[in-house]
Formats: sequence, C-alpha cells, structure tokens
Amino acid sequence: MGKYLKHFALAFLAGASVMMAAQSASAENTLERILSAKKIRVAIDVANPPFGVLDKNSQPDGSDVAVARQLAKDLGAELEFVQVPSTGRIPALLAGRADVTIASISVTADRAKAVMYCNPNGALSITIFAPQSVKITTPADLVGKRVGITRATLEEATVPKMAPEGTKIVWFDDLASTTQALLSGQVDAVAMTAFAEKAVSDANPAKKLENKLLVTTAFYGPIVRQNDFELRQWINTWIFLNTRNGNLATIYKKYTGIDLPPLPTF
Amino acid sequence: MHYAFHFNVVWEHWRDLAEGAWLTIRLSALAMSFGLAVATVCAYAKAAGPAPVRWTVAAYVEAIRNTPFLVQIFIVYFSLPTLGISIDANEAALAAMVVNFGAYGTEILRAGIESIPHGQVEAARALGLSRLQTFVHVMLFPAVKTVYPALSSQFILLMLASSVVSTISAVELTAVTNSLQSTTFRPFEFYFVSTGIYLAMSLGFQAVFGAMYWVAFMRGPRGHRA
Repeated sequence: MGKYLKHFALAFLAGASVMMAAQSASAENTLERILSAKKIRVAIDVANPPFGVLDKNSQPDGSDVAVARQLAKDLGAELEFVQVPSTGRIPALLAGRADVTIASISVTADRAKAVMYCNPNGALSITIFAPQSVKITTPADLVGKRVGITRATLEEATVPKMAPEGTKIVWFDDLASTTQALLSGQVDAVAMTAFAEKAVSDANPAKKLENKLLVTTAFYGPIVRQNDFELRQWINTWIFLNTRNGNLATIYKKYTGIDLPPLPTF
Repeated sequence: MHYAFHFNVVWEHWRDLAEGAWLTIRLSALAMSFGLAVATVCAYAKAAGPAPVRWTVAAYVEAIRNTPFLVQIFIVYFSLPTLGISIDANEAALAAMVVNFGAYGTEILRAGIESIPHGQVEAARALGLSRLQTFVHVMLFPAVKTVYPALSSQFILLMLASSVVSTISAVELTAVTNSLQSTTFRPFEFYFVSTGIYLAMSLGFQAVFGAMYWVAFMRGPRGHRA
C-alpha cells in the first residue's frame, strides 16, 4: 500500500513536470511551425449544428468545418481536426493539442483573458425555447422553471445573468444532453443558439417547440493562444480576403440559411 | 507555448469544490450502502433461491456488468420521465449507482460464498440453524471477510465512476470542476486540484475501510472465530 502510494505520487509528479517542460520548449512561433510542418491542427466541436456536425459518413461537416477547410487550403497546410466537446474548445488550445479553435466561439471579455480572438467570421443569437405548453413570454416567467444550458457556451455566460432569481438553471456537458433533457421533460426550457433551436425543432415536430426569448446576439471568431500574434495576423488577413471575395458569406448562407451580417473587425 | 499557472483562482472557489466533493462522497456512500443491500439479497437469492429467481438475478448481473455505466445513467435519467416517473439528476445518479454496484457486489459476494466449504453449511443446518441464520452467520460473514479487498476496491471504482454523472447535470466534483474551468478558463489548475481531491478521497475511503475491517473482523470474539 505504501509502495503503491509512492509510485502513484511519482507518476503524478512526472506527469506534471512533463506539462511544465512542454510550455518552456518553443523556439519558433506557431505560424512558422505550421508552415514548416505543412500541417495545421484545428479544434472543432462537431456536436454543434449547424457550425459543426458529423455527416452521414461520420465526417466533420458544418460552417466551422468548411471555414477550417478553406483556411487550411489557402495556408497550403494539411488539415488535422481535433474534435472537442464545447467544454474542451479553450482547454484544447491551452494544452497545445490544437493551433487554433474554429468552433463558433462567441467573443466575450472573459474568454479574451485566456485566449486571443481573431476577427469575427460569423454571428449567432442565443434564444430560450420550450414546448408550446410552457408559458414563457417575459424573463420573469422563468422563475420556478428548470432551464437547461450547456457548459462553456455563450448561454452559460449570459443566461445566469439575465434569468431572475428563482430560475432553476441546470448545467449539461454537451448540447446533445441538453437537447435530450428538453425532449424527455427533465427541463422545462433550454437556451442554445437559434440555429441549434431550429435543428432541434425541425427534428421533433411533435414536441411543438417554439421560440420564447432572445437572450443575446454575438459575433464569433477563431481563437489562438495568447502571444500567437503571427498566426492571428495571418488568420485576420485571410478573414479580410474571404469577406471581400464572398467565401465566408457563401459558407454561412449554405449552412445557416440566412445572410451573413456585416462583420466588424478589431 | 506559454502557460502561467494561477492557483489562486482555485482557492477563490474552494467552497464550490468542497460542495462538489461532499456530494461525490454522499452519493458514493449511499450507493455503497444500498448497493450492498441489493447485492446481499441477490447473492442470497443466487445461492438459495428457486431457479426462476436465480435466472432473474443472473440476467440482472450480466446486463449491468456488460453495459457501460454512462448508458445506464442515461437510461435512468432520460427514459424514466418518458414513462411518467419524475426523477431529478441526483436521484437518477444514485439509482444508477445503486443498480451498478448491486450487480458487481452480487458477483463479488458470490465468489466469497462459493469459497465456503459445503460441509460447513451442512454442519450448520444439522445443528439446527435456519436457512437465514446459516446464510448470515456461516456463509455471508466469512464470505465478506474473504472478499473484503475486492469489495472495497469496487467501492473506490464506483466513487471514481461517479464522475460521469456530471453529464446528467448532477453537481458533484467533476461537474463543479467543469463549470469552474469553463467560466474561469483555468482548466489545468482546476483539473489538477480536482485530481488531487479524488486521490485524497480514495485514500481516505481506503483508510476508513481498513478501520472497518479491523473493527468487524480483527477484534472481539468473531476475530478469533473466523
């Protein structure tokens, strides 16, 4: 028992020190490494329609995936997808498993403390929706209702702030669980993107789901690690060019069914 | 790449982590108690019940031991409300853990019971002990002593497996960790500390089991008997 404990502690320390070592060993910047290796690792969330989904052949598809494919092609690099859940979009980047995350990650001041945003490449809104029978017309109606949200999403950052005291917020780890909780009646309402709402409503017409409240509208963009300025600058240049030539608008329209609003830059 | 560790963020949220760990402990301890009761009844049924009961218990044990715990949790949480049974996340988590531990516990106790020499059981019956008395005193007690290490390690596995109940919105240690890392963007700090807490809980429970073993088997008249 004492011996096992010692081994365990040693293994734990070894793991920790490998991680410490990994962060200090980097002479060339991320863009240089991508260009010399001719490979870019992009973190995507394929459980987030219409931005990231798996198609009938279990291949990644969706507007984020299309953007990543075009970006890698123009970069002249092989594209490697790193599939992550919504909670893994920032950790995958921080852990060095991916060079950039393109997963409709909305711009918030808190996230910008941990990672650097490139210019936005799309927009989304967060809505609260529920079956017709659930009466919600104003935020005050949320009191006493169980509202499902997904961790590490824009709804997690916004719904707890707008919901009045007495709202029972229920957290899930991924959109699929949140959706299932609504369909099985474990929650009264859920908050997710308007696009996800449409996908859920279209797939379950018998539930008579309807839009109740608009929570917020936000822009989303690719994120890179702090200090990866060269990579960020290249992506911003790419976003500029693909806004001008209409590629981004075409991709957005194809997957969301609506026109891409004018994209701000910063 | 550069990553500066900021553990002070973790200490700011120690109360949330402690609440999560406390729910993990309560869920695991309750699931262990109820699960052990389920396992004892099933082990008795398997050892002494009529054939249909034995088959039912065997089906239960095989069904649970050969399917993923995550799927069992989803079935309890998402399917029961469809059947009109209202159950919240913590209840669903506890129910799934009891059912899961019950199946593994049955199998562990069965191994212990089979290790009891048949002559010992016949001797107890010949001395006039009832079926139940024979089961409790002559079979179950020495069986538990024999399989005690397997039972306690199964409990540790159950406690660690409880981390997946965060997927159905039960707010135990892993759920708290996921929420905190996703709102503070300090994943490594929170996962490191959470790992440490799980390790401490495992070692703590092992110490408790060691003490319980000593109290139950190593002292008093029973200590000399079995």
